[in-house]
Amino acid sequence: MSDLDRAIEQLRACRLIPESQVRELCYKARELLIEEGNVVSVDAPVTICGDIHGQFHDLMELFRVGGDVPDTNYLFMGDFVDRGFYSLESFLLLLCLKVRYPDRITLIRGNHESRQITTVYGFYDECIRKYGSANVWRYCCEVFDYLALGAIVLGASSGLEPTTSYTNDTTQSTMPIDDGELETEVLNSQGEVTFSTYRPRQRSSSDTSTDSRAISPPRDISAPPGQATPSRTGAPGTGASGDGNGSAQTSRTGAVLCVHGGLSPLIDSVDKIRLIDRKQEVPHEGAMCDLLWSDPDEIEGWGLSPRGAGFLFGSDIVKQFNHLNGLSLVARAHQLVMEGYKEMFDGGIVTVWSAPNYCYRCGNVAAILELGEDASNGGTVARSNGEYGRSNGVVDANTVVSPGRRYRVFEAAAQDTRGMPAKKPVADYFL
Amino acid sequence: MSADGRPVRVLPKLDPGAPHNFIAPVKRIHDGQDVSDFLSSKAYTDIMTFLLQLNRSMFPTKIPDGAAQTWPLGTDAVQFSAPVRQLQGLLSKLEDIVEEVPPDTGPRRFGNISFRKWHEVLETRASDLLREFLPAELLDMPSADADGPTAESELKAYFLGSWGSGLRLDYGTGHELSFIAFLAAIWKLNGFPKADFGVEERAIVLGVIEPYLELIRTLIRTYSLEPAGSHGVWGLDDHSFVPYILGSAQFSPAINESDLTPEEGSLPDAPDPAGITKTNIVERERKTNLYFSAIGFIYDVKKGPFWEHSPMLYDISGIRAGWGKINKGMVKMFSAEVLSKFPVVQHFPFGSLFSFDRDPNAIPPPTTVHATSGPQGRPAVPDAGHGPTARPNVDAGTKAPWATAGAGTRAPPMGPTAAPWATARPGPGSTMTLPDTSQMPPGPMAPTRAPWASTQAPPPPGGDAPTKAPWAK
Repeated sequence: MSDLDRAIEQLRACRLIPESQVRELCYKARELLIEEGNVVSVDAPVTICGDIHGQFHDLMELFRVGGDVPDTNYLFMGDFVDRGFYSLESFLLLLCLKVRYPDRITLIRGNHESRQITTVYGFYDECIRKYGSANVWRYCCEVFDYLALGAIVLGASSGLEPTTSYTNDTTQSTMPIDDGELETEVLNSQGEVTFSTYRPRQRSSSDTSTDSRAISPPRDISAPPGQATPSRTGAPGTGASGDGNGSAQTSRTGAVLCVHGGLSPLIDSVDKIRLIDRKQEVPHEGAMCDLLWSDPDEIEGWGLSPRGAGFLFGSDIVKQFNHLNGLSLVARAHQLVMEGYKEMFDGGIVTVWSAPNYCYRCGNVAAILELGEDASNGGTVARSNGEYGRSNGVVDANTVVSPGRRYRVFEAAAQDTRGMPAKKPVADYFL
Repeated sequence: MSADGRPVRVLPKLDPGAPHNFIAPVKRIHDGQDVSDFLSSKAYTDIMTFLLQLNRSMFPTKIPDGAAQTWPLGTDAVQFSAPVRQLQGLLSKLEDIVEEVPPDTGPRRFGNISFRKWHEVLETRASDLLREFLPAELLDMPSADADGPTAESELKAYFLGSWGSGLRLDYGTGHELSFIAFLAAIWKLNGFPKADFGVEERAIVLGVIEPYLELIRTLIRTYSLEPAGSHGVWGLDDHSFVPYILGSAQFSPAINESDLTPEEGSLPDAPDPAGITKTNIVERERKTNLYFSAIGFIYDVKKGPFWEHSPMLYDISGIRAGWGKINKGMVKMFSAEVLSKFPVVQHFPFGSLFSFDRDPNAIPPPTTVHATSGPQGRPAVPDAGHGPTARPNVDAGTKAPWATAGAGTRAPPMGPTAAPWATARPGPGSTMTLPDTSQMPPGPMAPTRAPWASTQAPPPPGGDAPTKAPWAK
């Protein structure tokens, strides 16, 4: 077993690795990350995750629900650290997995992956407490500077293969009654379907967009946890044969942009993100800052953010950005949502939040978003390394179809097995 | 010693006969340097003086038969003056607004949007409420300059700052600070009757501050207010600080009027600090003690192991030197982690009652690398033990605030750029000067290869719950 595998094993057990090993790990991680572009291209299938915030035991629950690395491909949208008790264990484990399985896991930067933020919101304190010095904090911050700013998911399937619930819950009907294509599915942590939406299969490429947009149910869905509502909301009778030519349709699925916060008024195309010099502390303003700090809001255009960094942006901004870039969806994290995920703006953007019962008190569930692989072309998608989505005629943005989306919702991990540690020396105010 | 022989200062009141000019309060703290100026300002001295005065009053009092008169919540040994009862009436009116504005049942992120409505109602009614519950002669106290504002403009600013943010749907120690300033402003304006030391102070703590904290807890639960600037598990408490100061005083050793404020030891029948992890003890003590009422609220709202979601309080519960020790530490920590933190104090407005002018007796605080947001040097605490005009000696900046000349223990000297807990020795290759605590003894949670490791940083308190930029104005 290699040192790396041993480190993974140790971290999975929630035990820290020695400082010298952290240093080595961070060095290797930087070597790897420096090769990545600002916007990493990722092929479906992939599972997209939001904020973790040091909730290590909940991260283990996430892997239990979503599948382990490397069996499942993961894309984490930042905010690994701060606030929770186990930022070190969480981030170092993810970093080990990144180094061990670089093609299986993608880490992008959140606004908390920053020197200034971590000195305010806890990670710095945690490093001092657990390692006795700021060295490990410094190594981690150097890695933060190399994390990508975003990712583009390519080759996601427009439809989902319906999940067969493990249980014999007969109230759950997951089969589409007619040829409606399964568009969204929400599963609880037992793998039971609690909610689903359908859209009709398209007859031909010409009416793809209109059919799916006009007939699909509103996509601002956000199913309450545990609420078993096997809704079959696809419009009956509108789906034609659907068989036979499905492949041509599903390959039209637009790309998905993943970024921690949101959009920036300084960024009108994905390519502009690629031009940023990202290897630095997160600036207080500018495009890089906005990508990590902004939030969608029910406004028109751009607005000031109450956070004091980044902006608020409305549905018109998202629609235009997606249209111009051939995107079907922006996936982002950054904001607590009680149901774990929240689609907004007719499904143009989704917030994914992966820290259940955030800060031990918020009572929220967490979610991860699975995008399936478009099997129609043999499971391979040409990596386009930046060419994708340019308005070069290859992709007609008007015909972009959103990907099928499977949300797995989960709750905080059980805590009763964690023993009470001895008390640590107190801060020097009390000496 | 204060002028009357008591080892703690009392916040001076305005001379009703002397002309005074009120100033509509405005924000003065715009960057890290402004925080340093604040720490040398008259406002900082006044706030700490008032807080220490309240703190001192909550220490049990020696009585002639050798026993101690304690000051538990709900005691009938404390009489509430008319102004205190009026303030209770004011708080009760605010609680009524909660009934008027039920939480929104629609979809939400976390903070309930109805709190914005609660805040709007509060703002709409603030002037009328103040007029109903505070004396007109106090509110209408004029400026010497004919076109200057009245006292009301200053009082209202601190009153309105006490109830969290309607915009961000959060609440934190900065709002708590504003309420303390509101009470201190009334004190300065002679709004509380003249009495022996401790009489009005105890009535303010038990009769006003505790109901205030309860109302805040109601607001937090009703509207799911986020912790302003939460450090998650790495802060003392998501929302509050003051109850930990005043509650630890309640359990500290009994004192005479002339005794120095104890720096260690406990009242003989006070519960062990370790009791905070035992729910039966918390349930018993929270009814009468401010520290435990705050701990009890944590249990009400948090799920999970206490040591994990509140490691700072857990560690403090291991202190063997008594509640007096905890009390002393809490005061120091309040000064360093609330009053010295830009994200917390940036919203505090300054007028005439809390003046940004330099206090001629202030000790300049150490300058630090993290002047705007991060771990920061401990500021000078007003020299509460000295006479009002005593010129503190050079060590006074690191001295316990209640220390009298010769009685205080000297804190270790600190390098100018060190964080408060630092042993001041930057690690190799550091670009920022950060503490190296490698000299500290090992602790049980240290990783296997770092046997020397231990010690933790003091938790930075409060902030904003969707992460606010620390540099945000």
